[in-house]
Amino acid sequence: MHLFKYIWRNVMRNKLRSLLTISSVAVSLALMTVLFGYLSLQTVVQREAAKYDRVVVLNKMGFAAPVPIAHVDKIKKMEGVVTASPYSWFGGKYENQPFLFAQFGVDPDALFEVYSEYKIEESQLAKFKSTKNACVADSRLAEQMEWQIGDKIPLEGSFTTVNLDLELVGIYEAPQNTGSIFFNWYYLDELLKESVPAMSGNAGSVPVKCKVDSEVTLMCESIDAKFSNSENATLTRTEAAFAKMFADMLGDVQLFIRIISLAVVFALTLVTATSMAMSMRERTTEVSVLKAIGFSRQRVLTMVLGESAMIAMLGGILGIAAGLGLLNMLSGVPSLAQFFPFPVSQLVGMWMLGLVGIAGGIGIVSGIVPAVLASNQSVIDGLRQVV
Amino acid sequence: MIPLKYNIRSMTVRWVTTLLTILAIAIIVFISILTFGMVEGIYNALNSSGDQEDVIVMRKGSNDELSSNVSTAMARDLINLEGIDKDENGEPLVSREFITIMTCDRKNDDGTANVLIRGLEKAGRKLRPDFTIIEGRDLEPGVNEMIASSKMAARYEIFDLGGEPEINKVKFSVVGLFEAGGSSSESEVWADFRDLTSAQRFEGAVSIVNMRVKDEKDRLALIDRVENDDQFKLKAISEQEYFESQKGAAGPLLVMAVMIATFLLIGATFAAANTMYAAVSSRIREIGTLRALGFSRLNVLTSFMLESIIICLIGGLIGCLATIPLNGFSGATQGNNFSELSFALSFGPIVLGLGMGLALFMGTLGGLFPALKAIRLQIVNALRQR
Repeated sequence: MHLFKYIWRNVMRNKLRSLLTISSVAVSLALMTVLFGYLSLQTVVQREAAKYDRVVVLNKMGFAAPVPIAHVDKIKKMEGVVTASPYSWFGGKYENQPFLFAQFGVDPDALFEVYSEYKIEESQLAKFKSTKNACVADSRLAEQMEWQIGDKIPLEGSFTTVNLDLELVGIYEAPQNTGSIFFNWYYLDELLKESVPAMSGNAGSVPVKCKVDSEVTLMCESIDAKFSNSENATLTRTEAAFAKMFADMLGDVQLFIRIISLAVVFALTLVTATSMAMSMRERTTEVSVLKAIGFSRQRVLTMVLGESAMIAMLGGILGIAAGLGLLNMLSGVPSLAQFFPFPVSQLVGMWMLGLVGIAGGIGIVSGIVPAVLASNQSVIDGLRQVV
Repeated sequence: MIPLKYNIRSMTVRWVTTLLTILAIAIIVFISILTFGMVEGIYNALNSSGDQEDVIVMRKGSNDELSSNVSTAMARDLINLEGIDKDENGEPLVSREFITIMTCDRKNDDGTANVLIRGLEKAGRKLRPDFTIIEGRDLEPGVNEMIASSKMAARYEIFDLGGEPEINKVKFSVVGLFEAGGSSSESEVWADFRDLTSAQRFEGAVSIVNMRVKDEKDRLALIDRVENDDQFKLKAISEQEYFESQKGAAGPLLVMAVMIATFLLIGATFAAANTMYAAVSSRIREIGTLRALGFSRLNVLTSFMLESIIICLIGGLIGCLATIPLNGFSGATQGNNFSELSFALSFGPIVLGLGMGLALFMGTLGGLFPALKAIRLQIVNALRQR
């Protein structure tokens, strides 16, 4: 306990220097928290997706190629399937702004069974099923856009020439922020048949809800086997694998984030080491006095290492806290919501402990050289030296 | 003015701290400009793609090639328009093109990505800047052959020379690898226009029409006709403008680069300040002596600021030099059209200048407060200090 007090007093001795070192570590760790928070978000998305026994059917060519709507009915009749819905991305402009939020054409009769974790009021669902141009929105999206039930949501097609004239009839609650609205796929298809017949009849992708006891990977294989000889062969993946595909799209950016983090750690070690070296240089005489009155080498070693570890840990904890605050702020911005669909509280995981560990590690590694030098210092030379 | 020699000697006396600080600054500058190098790489890929003389015709309201479609009949009328240049054989330089994307496995089990497949006519190859076949040969129309950019061949097994990608059970074979002057074409795989549309069972479907109109007057007249004539009512823009509008692809990376640089800049400024505070406090008696000798406060301030700036600039220089081996190193990320855009890291004058600017900023701000502390000292007190 005395040792701890001694270390603490030493940390507080040159307040300005400690403050600068701690801030330097804190700022850099805040950056790492944001970067790793974003990466770990991808893992959370995949982990959440694995919970619900769902698979996603796409055309084997990828999502530019169509999945015929007839496939959906065939899949529904398969053994082990609860139900399935078309899920067609529309990508329309709202108030002349493209990609403000995601819009999907779905089967109102099946959607809330496929995504059984999405909650919607019975009466609103009934209206969604019975009204041709109805749509439902995520509660968080509705709040951000200040939509009320009954509002008109006109969407101007950018990938197709058709425009949708939607009316908001319901608001659903989802565990994560989906940032999406859903509308009737058949309404879109009718319009497409009139203006661009070549593009009609495309279900886009097909999310399939499997029975609880079914083996989802086997399900993927049997769906693909069923359509392997059809004109549009399919590629079915579990929802988790589907989510991973989107994470993969980041490409080399993930690798890049890791390289940056490594370099940041190295730079921080140098910064902390410099600060420790400066402190120990000023205390040469003092260390000799300590040793002269009987402090052992180990004791001196522990004292110096403890000091650098404490400075780095303080910086680390402050930095991680600031980073989490920043992540929280980012997830509150409407157009960024789709990149940060989960609240920060869901991101808590081993990687945070890892970051704290990294901070401690930086402290210890950067303290090694000054500590060894101090513990090996000869008493007489130290006392003689004029600093 | 206190001679620079004084600062250099002081730095060498405390060479360990000086060296460590220089290294830390070097790493931080290196990381910052690495990110900006990625952004510049993406800009370069899109910049060198656009040719002022080339015109892209697409559907009104579509923002990129993938979402565009032009009817077969209209495309036929477009290729007969007046003003389109001819090549040395008298063939018009116009290409009907069909664009699709295909999900492919990356090499080394590194997940999947979407690759842009473009069906184009022979003239289309001549419209691309610096198109050259570097291995194998050009594709022959009608026999389901493909050519891939060498960058794509390096990233995906099935697009390597001799690879046999399948599109809707129609087997294609890769017969050549090409380069196109670092443009975004190097993120694509090409097939014959008719082969690709028939394999996709969109016989005759056209996404865009690409043409060369050298004469500026002819070009403006053609653009005006395509945009406003009731016969067409399509969108026609010069290729350069089109790629300018695609630069949004670098947006998220640019945001990331600015964020990383800002954070690291703050962190590094603290580190530089720390070193300079130590330099000042271990030289208090020296400062007193200097002032007693008659050097003014301003002299001392400049001297310490200069020392800090020199340390940071050396660090910045090392950081910039360290990027040299990475110049041209290629990477890929999500581009527009939902497909992967490959780019080469590029550290041009702007990026390197930015790196040195960051170093200068760290040095100035990091040195300012310690230097102010140095000049606030009373000569008598400073000389008394042990």
